[in-house]
Amino acid sequence: MSGFGKGRSAALAGVAVTALLAGPAIAQQSGDIRMLWWGSQPRADRTFAVIDMYQEANPDVSIQGETVGWADYWTRLATQVAGRNAPDVIQQDYRYMFEYAGRGALLDMMPYRDEILTLPGVTEADLESGMSDGQLWGVNLGVNSVAMMVNATIFEEAGIPVPENGVSWQEIKDIAIEVAEKSDRIEYGVEDSSGYEPSLHNWLRQRGKELYTEEGELAFDVQDMTEWYQFWADMRDSGATPPPDVQALDQRSIETHMVTLGNAAMGFANSNQLVGFSQLNEDEIVMRVFPLVEDSTSEGHFFKPSQLLSVAASTEFPELSLDFVNFFITDTEAGKVLDVERGVPISSDVRDAIRPELDEDGLAQLEYIEGLDPYAGPLPPPPPQGAGEIDQMMIQIGQQVAFGQLTPEEGAERLVSQAESILSR
Amino acid sequence: MSSNSEPPAYAGAAAVPLVVANGRRARLTRALGSSGAAYVFLFPWLAGFLILTAGPALYSLYLSFTDYDLINVPRWAGLDNYMRIATNDPKFQDSVRVTLTFVLLSVPLKLAVALGVAMLLNRGLRGLTVYRAIFYLPSLLGTSVAIAVLWRQLFAGDGLINNLLLGFGIQGPSWISNPDTALYTLVILAVWQFGSPMIIFLAGLRQIPADIYEAARMDGASKSRQFWRITLPMLTPVVFFNAVVQTIDAFKAFTSAFIISGGTGGPVNSTLFYTLYLYQEAFGYFRMGYAAALAWILLVIIALFTAFSFLSARYWVHYDD
Repeated sequence: MSGFGKGRSAALAGVAVTALLAGPAIAQQSGDIRMLWWGSQPRADRTFAVIDMYQEANPDVSIQGETVGWADYWTRLATQVAGRNAPDVIQQDYRYMFEYAGRGALLDMMPYRDEILTLPGVTEADLESGMSDGQLWGVNLGVNSVAMMVNATIFEEAGIPVPENGVSWQEIKDIAIEVAEKSDRIEYGVEDSSGYEPSLHNWLRQRGKELYTEEGELAFDVQDMTEWYQFWADMRDSGATPPPDVQALDQRSIETHMVTLGNAAMGFANSNQLVGFSQLNEDEIVMRVFPLVEDSTSEGHFFKPSQLLSVAASTEFPELSLDFVNFFITDTEAGKVLDVERGVPISSDVRDAIRPELDEDGLAQLEYIEGLDPYAGPLPPPPPQGAGEIDQMMIQIGQQVAFGQLTPEEGAERLVSQAESILSR
Repeated sequence: MSSNSEPPAYAGAAAVPLVVANGRRARLTRALGSSGAAYVFLFPWLAGFLILTAGPALYSLYLSFTDYDLINVPRWAGLDNYMRIATNDPKFQDSVRVTLTFVLLSVPLKLAVALGVAMLLNRGLRGLTVYRAIFYLPSLLGTSVAIAVLWRQLFAGDGLINNLLLGFGIQGPSWISNPDTALYTLVILAVWQFGSPMIIFLAGLRQIPADIYEAARMDGASKSRQFWRITLPMLTPVVFFNAVVQTIDAFKAFTSAFIISGGTGGPVNSTLFYTLYLYQEAFGYFRMGYAAALAWILLVIIALFTAFSFLSARYWVHYDD
């Protein structure tokens, strides 16, 4: 634990709540700030509880919490920022954060690292995901990575062992056909992931490529995309994956996921979503790393920030906002309340504190992230402006290929040319 | 005012005292002129219109010539946005095609259903108010998120509709996630919300004098002949009103497509309503200037449609004056 007793340590605040010690060493904070985040009701309950803890330790501080669902979140944030009414503390997504930072809406946190944003138990590597050009735009709230969600109950009923980490895509195809044959509850083995950007990203990285370069240009070519679409066309033809009109029910939510809908035994999502998958599925869901391509670099995965906490450039209380961010991310008592619902905490102190208190899914998530090293590579460069639009386009063109409106070659050419046109806007 | 006769001598004499009288109202009238008084009464509405409607609308017209991204100061971009929409935007073309299809299918169907139900209810049923309320209910709920979610459940691959079809031995597709059928589920959803045109039709049917029908019956006109020769012509002003209002509404449809496609307009842009595309550009990709240009183009499209309706009205709408 670094910096304990040097100025105001965030951990002290947690102790102050429990042991009713005197206030922090720095001058008493005061002010009104607002925090905005997206997520479910359970997340809201946890977050409000942590806000209350902070307010108890800092009686002169008032924090207004606001929360909405993912779909409405970006509308609300954009309008608030445009209306000069931005929340002081903003939960950000890795893709959108740089769009906001690039438009001057976020505060560079670097100057506050020595005094306020001390982040005990956090390594510099953990902060990399929130940085560009040496400036810190957001602090990682939790680590996650993409993961293959496997319905273990269906495998058990079918009498097939659950695939282990490190199986190849070819093996997954065979297993998918077999499990669909032997199970009477599902019709397809694995979901069609041809339009899911994180799956493509993982596949490209295993082939030694990337989605985007440091300069914000495409880091793959038509040949890569053609092979990707051909691979999934083969998966569809062999009956391993659902037909396109079934796959199109997926709306990028846990509720509409092929695994949750009972259409497939295996699918692709994010590791911090295991909690949600377990809540929505009666069957047992386990996580595995993504399947491997031939001659894989073994660096398909990377440790991704599930969300980040940013502070608005327009805030009246930068120090107070950053102190709250520091508390939120590194206080062990707050960590126990937050659990791993936002991903695995980046502070080793918090991780150690919550480990004994985790339930089965929380532990599975923690172990998944800790065991990911053999399959993980360096963090990709921050996505360029327009990445969000390209992601939406990948869904659409993936569907056009799946529905047979375009051949894999045509789809690949269209995707690359449209993506380049978006990036050049 | 009577016409083409000389004004009687007393008219001026009566008017003079009004003008020279020294009442408070007369002073006001003198200060403003008679139309001025009208503006005083109009002021509350006018202020609201200028501040809340016209002002923002004109500002958005200005924004449509800029590259405003919601956060930075708008930069003048001239005709760039409009040029791009016209020459280099396949999604715009998709959204126009989807929206026109939706309007041309949903509006006539909706009016037909609304008129049909209104005719049924016009037979002097006992408990009319109850039925009227029941039939109106979907329109109250229709724009709500819950109904759109329900629609997803109805038309999903293993939804209620397909289970009913299975009863007849038909294996239906997954309606909402198939690009060939997704839009039609939204059309059905729109038609199902026939409540407000139905209520207006019902009022219109009540206006038709019963003795016309009686005379027609005496002359031996059949039911269908009565409908085509009496009911429909007498109703044309109401049909016209409903058609214009419903067309404008259909162009502005948003919620159902937003919910059913999860905000994407998918599968493969088959439900990409114009408003949904506008929303994506504005709040998904922060291109407010571009979205403002799209909004103004939508305004022009709706204005053209409405103007066409009014021009055609003289040939088929009968006002009995």
